[in-house]
Formats: sequence, C-alpha cells, structure tokens
Amino acid sequence: MSALRQRIDSVLASFARAPELGLVSILVVLSIYAAVALPAFRTTSNADQILSNSTIIAILALAETLVLLTRQIDLSVGATLGLCAYIVGSALGHVGGDPPLAILMALGLGGVLGLGNALLVDLVRMPAIIATLATLSIYGGLQVVVTNGSQLYAYQLPHWLTTLYATNWGPLPAFACVALVLVVILTVCVQMLRWGRDLYAMGSNPEAAAVTGLPVRRRTYEAFIACGALSGFAGLLYAAQYGNVDATAGNGIELTAIAAAVIGGVSLFGGSGTPAGAALGALLLIEIENILAIEKISIFAQQLLQGLAIVASVAVYALVRRYAQRLGARRRRLQGAGPLPTATIEPAEAHP
Amino acid sequence: MRHLWRQALRWEAGLTVLGLILLAYMSLASSDFFTSFTLQSLALNSTVIGFLALGVAPVIISGDIDISIAAMLGLCTIVLGEVWQAGVNIWLAALASVALGCVLGLLNGIFVVLLDLPSLAITLGSMGAYTGIAFLILGGSAITGFPNSLVTLASGLAGNAVPWSTLILLAVAAVLAFVLHRTTVGRVVFAIGSNKQASRFSGLAVVRTKLLVFVISGLMSGIAAIFYAGYFNTAQGGLGAEDLLPAITVVILGGVSAYGGTGTLPGVVLALFVLGVLQTGLGVLGFSGQEQTIAVGLTLILALAVSAGSRVLRARFTAAAARSPA
Repeated sequence: MSALRQRIDSVLASFARAPELGLVSILVVLSIYAAVALPAFRTTSNADQILSNSTIIAILALAETLVLLTRQIDLSVGATLGLCAYIVGSALGHVGGDPPLAILMALGLGGVLGLGNALLVDLVRMPAIIATLATLSIYGGLQVVVTNGSQLYAYQLPHWLTTLYATNWGPLPAFACVALVLVVILTVCVQMLRWGRDLYAMGSNPEAAAVTGLPVRRRTYEAFIACGALSGFAGLLYAAQYGNVDATAGNGIELTAIAAAVIGGVSLFGGSGTPAGAALGALLLIEIENILAIEKISIFAQQLLQGLAIVASVAVYALVRRYAQRLGARRRRLQGAGPLPTATIEPAEAHP
Repeated sequence: MRHLWRQALRWEAGLTVLGLILLAYMSLASSDFFTSFTLQSLALNSTVIGFLALGVAPVIISGDIDISIAAMLGLCTIVLGEVWQAGVNIWLAALASVALGCVLGLLNGIFVVLLDLPSLAITLGSMGAYTGIAFLILGGSAITGFPNSLVTLASGLAGNAVPWSTLILLAVAAVLAFVLHRTTVGRVVFAIGSNKQASRFSGLAVVRTKLLVFVISGLMSGIAAIFYAGYFNTAQGGLGAEDLLPAITVVILGGVSAYGGTGTLPGVVLALFVLGVLQTGLGVLGFSGQEQTIAVGLTLILALAVSAGSRVLRARFTAAAARSPA
C-alpha cells in the first residue's frame, strides 16, 4: 500500500516538475484513439493541417509565456496580431517585399505595440491585466479605424506569402517548421541563458528579484516587447494562412493563446512553465478542435471546452504543485528528524 | 481614517469637476447634446454598464478581479429569453436570470476561494465557458420581441423625465454603498483587499466574505441582464462582450485601486456619469463606435496615470515634510 502511495507521489512530483511529459502522453493517447476510431483523422493531410493550424496559436502562446513567466499577463496579443496582419500586409501589397523585410516589419510593429504595454505597466504602474485590457481596446479600435471597412485580399499580398501555408519544407509543413524553430530559440533563451533565468526569478518572487539586483525593469520591457514582436510575427503568418484580413482578424484569439499556455503548464502566478509546454498546449487544443470538427460537434462547444480547459488545468497544476511542495516539505522534515523506520528517503530526490 | 476620507473626497471632487467640464464642453460643441432626449439616452445607455461596474467594484476592492461579468450578463440574458419563450411569466424569468447570476458568481467564487486559485485565470476560463454555453443554448439564432412590461421597465421614463432604470440603478447603488461603507461585512471586504494575510490571521471571515463578493458580482450581472433584454430587446450569443472594458474602466476611473483595498461606490457612480457624458458626447459629435472605444481605453489609462502620478507626488511631499525640521 505504501509502496503504491510512494509510486503515485513520485509520479505526481515529476509531473509537477515537468508537465510536458504528461502533455505528450495525453497527445499520444488522444492521437492513437482518434486514429483508430476516425478514418478521416488518419490521413497525412489531416496531420499536416493540425500542425499548420496550431502554429499561430503556438507562437502567440510562446509570446504570452514570456510575459506570464514574469507574473504579468498580456491580453492585447490578439489585437496586436490583427493590427500587424493588416498594416504589414497592406505595406507588402503596396511596395512588395522580401521575406526578411516582411519579418522585420512584423517584428518591429509588434515590438512597438509591446513597448506601449510595457510603458503602461512600468511607468504608469498599471496592473498588466488592466493595462493590456485597455490596449486591447485601443489596438483593436485602431485596427477598425485603419481598415476603415475595407479588407485585405490574398491577391494583394506577395506570392511567396500566400503560398507559404501550403508549402512543405522537407517532411513538415513550412508553418510547423517555423513554430519548431521558434520553440527551440525560445527554449534556449529562456531555459539556458541568464536572460531567461531572470524572467523565472522575477515571476517566482518579484521582491527578491529586485533586492538581488536583477535588472527587473529592463526585463519587464524586454518581455513585453518580445511578446508584442512575436504576436506581430504571428500576424504575418495570419495573413499568409487566411489571405484575407479585416477589422475582426485576431478578435478573441488571446483567450485561446492563454488557454494553450496554461494547459501547457505555464503558471499564471509566474515563475514556472516552459516554451515547449506552451507549444504542446497549443497543439493539444488544435488537435481536440480537429477531432470535434471531424465528429461534427458544434463549433460553439469549442469555446466552452477552452474555458473549461483553462479552469481545469489551472486547478490540476495548482493542486499537484501544492501536493508536491507538501511532500517535499515532509521529506525534508523527516530527514531533519533523523531516519524513521517507515520512511525510505532518497537524498537525491529530496534535493532535486 | 480621516486621511482616507480626504483622499476619497479629493478624487470624487476631481471627477465631479471633470464631468461638469465635459458636460459644458459637449453642450457648447453641439446644440444636440444638452437636450432631454440625449441626456435620457445617455442614462439609458449607462444602465447595463452601471450594474456590471457596481458588481465588479467589490471584487476589485477585495483585491481580486472578475472578468467574466460580461459573459455572465450574456448567459443570463439568453436564459431569461429562453425561459420566457418557454411560456413562463416574464418576471419569473427575470428572477431566474438573477438566480442564475448568483449561481455563476458562486461557481467563480468556489474555484477562486475554496481551491485558492488565481481569480484572473479562473474568471478568464469561466468567461469562455459561460460564453460557450450561451452560444450552445441559442446556436446562431436570436431572441427578440420581449414583452412590453420589460421594455417599459428598461427604457421607460418616470414622470416623462427620468428613466426608471436609472432610478433603480441609483437605489441599488445606495444599498450596495451602505453595505460596503457602513457595515462590518463591508469593512472586511476592504480589509481583505488591503492585506489578505493579516485579515486571515485576525480571524476575519475571509472565505465567506470573498464568496459573497463573487456572488454579488454574479447577482449584478443577472440584474443587468434584465435591463439588457428590455433595452436592446434582443438576445444572441456573444452579447455584452463589449461591456467588459467600460465596466472595469468605470470602476478604476471611480477611484477604486486596481490593487484592492481602497475605493468608494459613490466614486464609481460618478465615474459612470463621466464616461457616459464622454461616450454620448463623442457620439453626438459624430465619432464612430470604435473611436469611442479607443477613447474609453485612453480614459482608463489616463485615470491610472493620474492616480499613479498623485501617489508619487504625495510620497515625495510626505518625504520632504519628514526631512525638513518642523
């Protein structure tokens, strides 16, 4: 009995440390089930579609992760995406433009919008939720004003952009390759470089991070600007995928992006979660959406499902983390009190 | 305590002056503004946002947030319409809407308080869930043609002058203000917002009060739904989503600290008036709905900038006063 208990405890503890493993197993199980049960799911083109469709959400979730890690939030990513998609798309339509120029424009414009958020949070000292709720309406309003009732159509965009969605680079769709490259870059930046460790430190304990002398203000600016830039880049991909950008492009997509990040194990309390987890969260959401569509379940159910997924994953992660913490505390206590006959303590596990 | 009152009075005095200046400016800029018709529609347009703001203000004062208010409004309105269409008396349907609001708010509260989860995440999730349920109930269709009694309540005028809905809004605001500013429960809400740990250690009923605050938020969304259905005379999936930003703007503009612990309900009512004048005025001057939304966003930022600025200045003056020999 106690052996089983210990087994469960150690599984929970490793889940608390690395939720990506849990996500991957959910994805694998779900895919196997769907592949067996649904013939329409099994095709290569459907697999490509799932990968391509998750790219925009995955990139937004990555963007959101940078901000969430520092215990802030950005609700304006959808509006940033829409505004960038329209402005960069029209600019490309007017002057033409190579991929490097297009990417630079998208990153630049998105970065400026992100800077706006950072200024409000740092200089005006607004809580990020309210600051970005305000910029959500401002950027969204600007999008309506700029589009002025018109739309951007696929024929107005450069050829290389509109064909990107259907292109394969090697075995994978181009979109999936882009997402993969970004996941790798961000994983390196966030988990291996000091820059990213600062973000985790700020999110875990803002006061301690400031007292320790970390460049807290600078990192706040950098996180919001990077988040905006990535959202702008996602806007470019949005134009590529849909070929059609209007005043409502990107409306409400922030909820999906935050849902993906949260399902991927990124904590809204800051300080924990990984880019890979956020991207896997996006993949899981889109795969579920894909299965629902094949099963012909109402698209209206998807919003409900997303909302429930946020609540459920926040609850599960919080409870598991708390349990793991209690477990760790108990082990340390037991260790301090000397060996007890019933407890087998492995020092390596007690101090991960 | 006296300091607190002085601060509150100063903020509300500033709001009143701002409102009057806006009122004067709009009246001078357009002869269409200071007419009974425009002022009445200003009041009517503010009712739903007013109820939402009154509901979310106690939540924000207690240091949490509820961004599902607009989604609760949407779901309650649709359930009200469905229950009425099923042949139930309209006032019973309205009661059902209010009851449903309480239940939805309680659900938020249970997750946030009993499981001790971040309110931002939970209400973000429930926002999606409630909106999704509303869409599922109604599909793509809409409910219209609510009975005259409801329409009269929500858009009729008392004595051909003041809308009934405004009188009811003010009465509800007065009751809530009494509870919040004059009763023990109200003091506990402020105490939790100032310092949750200290409140818990002092033995205050933190859990019960927080649950109550979320239920009030749902209750107000349920009441707002009655006026939404009666005023717009239509209910469809996704309705009310655009009311979230103005409602929160009104609360912050009203002097409620976004970090919890301070704020007054009279301030919130004043802010509702100021924002109403601004939006209606811009509409009369020919600005589009989107441009009005941008103005609302900018107002929110401005309100926070002013309050942050005054905080910094006050801290500097206090420091200077402390340094200089008295």
